[in-house]
Amino acid sequence: MTDPLLRVENLKTQFFTDAGTVRAVDGISFEVREGEIVGLVGESGAGKSVASMSLLRLIEDPGEIVAGEITYKGETIFGLEEGPDGELREREDMLSNEEIRTQIRGNEIAVIFQDPMESLNPVFTIGGQLREFIELNRDLPKDAAKEEAIRMLREVGIPDPEQRYGEYPHQFSGGMRQRVLIAMALACEPSLIIADEPTTALDVTVEGQILELVDELQDKYDTSFLWVTHDMGVVAEICDRVNVMYLGEIVEQAPVDELFHDTKHPYTTALLNSMPRPDRTVGELEPIEGVMPEAINPPSGCRFHPRCPEAREVCQRVHPDAREVAHADGHPHRAACLKHDVFDAGYDESPPLETATQETAGVPAGGRSTGGPGGEDGATDLKDSVIEDGGEPTDGTRSDDRGETHE
Amino acid sequence: MGLARYTLYRLLQAIPVLLGITIITFVLANLAPGDPVQLMLAGQEVDEELVEAIEQQYGLDRPLHERYVTYMAGVLEGDLGYSIHWGQPVTELILGRVGPTLLLVLSAYAFAIATAIPLGIIAATRRNEPTDHVSRIVALFGVSTPSFWIGIMLILLFAVQLGWLPSTGLVYPWRGPDAYAWIDTWPELLYQTARHLLLPMIALGTLQMATLMRVERTQMIESLHGEYVTLARAYGVPERTILRKHAFQNAQLPIITIIGLNLSTALSGAVLIEYVFNINGMGRLFIEAIQALDYQLIMGITIVFGTIFVVGVIVTDLSYAYIDPRVTYGEEE
Ligand code: SF4
Repeated sequence: MTDPLLRVENLKTQFFTDAGTVRAVDGISFEVREGEIVGLVGESGAGKSVASMSLLRLIEDPGEIVAGEITYKGETIFGLEEGPDGELREREDMLSNEEIRTQIRGNEIAVIFQDPMESLNPVFTIGGQLREFIELNRDLPKDAAKEEAIRMLREVGIPDPEQRYGEYPHQFSGGMRQRVLIAMALACEPSLIIADEPTTALDVTVEGQILELVDELQDKYDTSFLWVTHDMGVVAEICDRVNVMYLGEIVEQAPVDELFHDTKHPYTTALLNSMPRPDRTVGELEPIEGVMPEAINPPSGCRFHPRCPEAREVCQRVHPDAREVAHADGHPHRAACLKHDVFDAGYDESPPLETATQETAGVPAGGRSTGGPGGEDGATDLKDSVIEDGGEPTDGTRSDDRGETHE
Repeated sequence: MGLARYTLYRLLQAIPVLLGITIITFVLANLAPGDPVQLMLAGQEVDEELVEAIEQQYGLDRPLHERYVTYMAGVLEGDLGYSIHWGQPVTELILGRVGPTLLLVLSAYAFAIATAIPLGIIAATRRNEPTDHVSRIVALFGVSTPSFWIGIMLILLFAVQLGWLPSTGLVYPWRGPDAYAWIDTWPELLYQTARHLLLPMIALGTLQMATLMRVERTQMIESLHGEYVTLARAYGVPERTILRKHAFQNAQLPIITIIGLNLSTALSGAVLIEYVFNINGMGRLFIEAIQALDYQLIMGITIVFGTIFVVGVIVTDLSYAYIDPRVTYGEEE
């Protein structure tokens, strides 16, 4: 198999704040191949944006990439090695800041941000901004860059591009601005585009149009995308493969059909169940219980256990890494959940943990949803109550129910 | 077309403001205690007939609103009345003094802008580093120290102690070298102008500099955190260009506003600075007019100051509208 376009291995990005170290990205690995649209999914705060910005080494103080390796087209965007003194140091072959700026940013990896109003400079014309980036990244003289800018504006479906070239961002609608950003990214002729929640600020109709446009242009230019989103619906529509992130980690990784039809991680299941779909009424939506804990002090063991309907005692102790649990379409299906046999952590023998979702069906309960790390006392209580209940593994049945709803 | 109409609109808006200024000044000046006629005749024996004659001559015996209307009719023709104390038309007096004040205020602004913007940017890019802390202390000093005190200290140090710079008066370049017996050539004239201007300029400009520097810093920090800056970075724009172009342009809009609004503090500061440095500008004239209770002159100067301020604000607004494409032109939308 050919080398992937982008390979990320065990990437860790941390923020050193007064309150402590925020492990925003905590050892993620994934790949993007040529012509692929790869999704990076999760709730806000999961570390998706930090992960994607790390790829361009655009992490600002007090943040820092502390470990891992990022390889793009054989070049090392980030890489550490052990120096003679035993300390980690940046590798020889790692691109310098200047090289990253001139050789990678824009012309190899371009970005599209969520809020096109914020990311376009309000005091410059649309055309001026486009032209600047094109000049810079394609080494074109002014006139040629302008022509190219107008051509790209037409390409992304902006009517009257010559006229609109000289207008300012506030004169464009949200959808049109997002088209401008797409034009900007494509105009630099990168091989990879990082799209960070590019349709979140748009209404559904416009979102649909933008997704269609991207699909079309992706076919034409054969650009790869890393699509960062919290929206499983968008993932279903556009992605080839998906990485699901939770609290700085990738908890499940699979081709998109596989992920939807043979979900291997309870968090992914929860995400899917919280997603509006035509075959379900709003009343049937199941919001994920609780809020995601802070990445500054993640729960022990499996980070999802305070919210996981399938959590067992062992989940509090053992921290699962993402392992291959199945294989589909020539791609591994990885999941970081102890219930799978490859982990061999004694999940089956372990007594269930009672979580908020285990209460009688249909009545959402508060309870332990925000439970922090450890929770020794809580754990004992739970064991007791389970025994009183006769130890019936209620969560097992629940999860079967869930399986049916989205099948 | 939009900008032209907007300009006209703003100019029309200025009319009621200026009217308000004249009315308030007029009423206050006439209600103030102290009788100018008595003051004129100070030391002389009070002669009722003489007083009446003078009052009649200056129209002081007529009701207030009538006097106001007469006065305004004169103002519209450029006649600001007659100074009893100086025995000269007010317009003439002011025209003779407006040059030094403008020279002082404009140079103070130039000094403030030229120092504040680079310092503010440096402070913003070296946030929480020593440079930033020093600039903060300088700013605090500048904001909290009265300009006349700075002026006195500058005189004591550079004029009295070191003897490097003159402490009184200004040299006016527009008069030409011939007007000064001790100056022969143009370069010498300009050199002397600069030497005389330096201390009062710094004294008056420090407050402006301090305010502008802090605003510049805040604006640059905000601008540098803007998503458009991140985007520019992500597209490989060099840091220098980001600072000079992408972040800078956005940060300047509030600066322009501050400059316009601070015109009032600059003008009132000029009054004191002119006094301290013995500069024969409008500010000094103003203080002398108050001391002499010369109402016509007080009103005249107030109206001129007010007009300068209003014009300054309009110019600010217009340049804002010109630079920032988002400003819509008032009633159009
Ligand atoms: S390891 Fe345990 S807590 Fe974590 S997802 Fe799997 S079942 Fe849930």
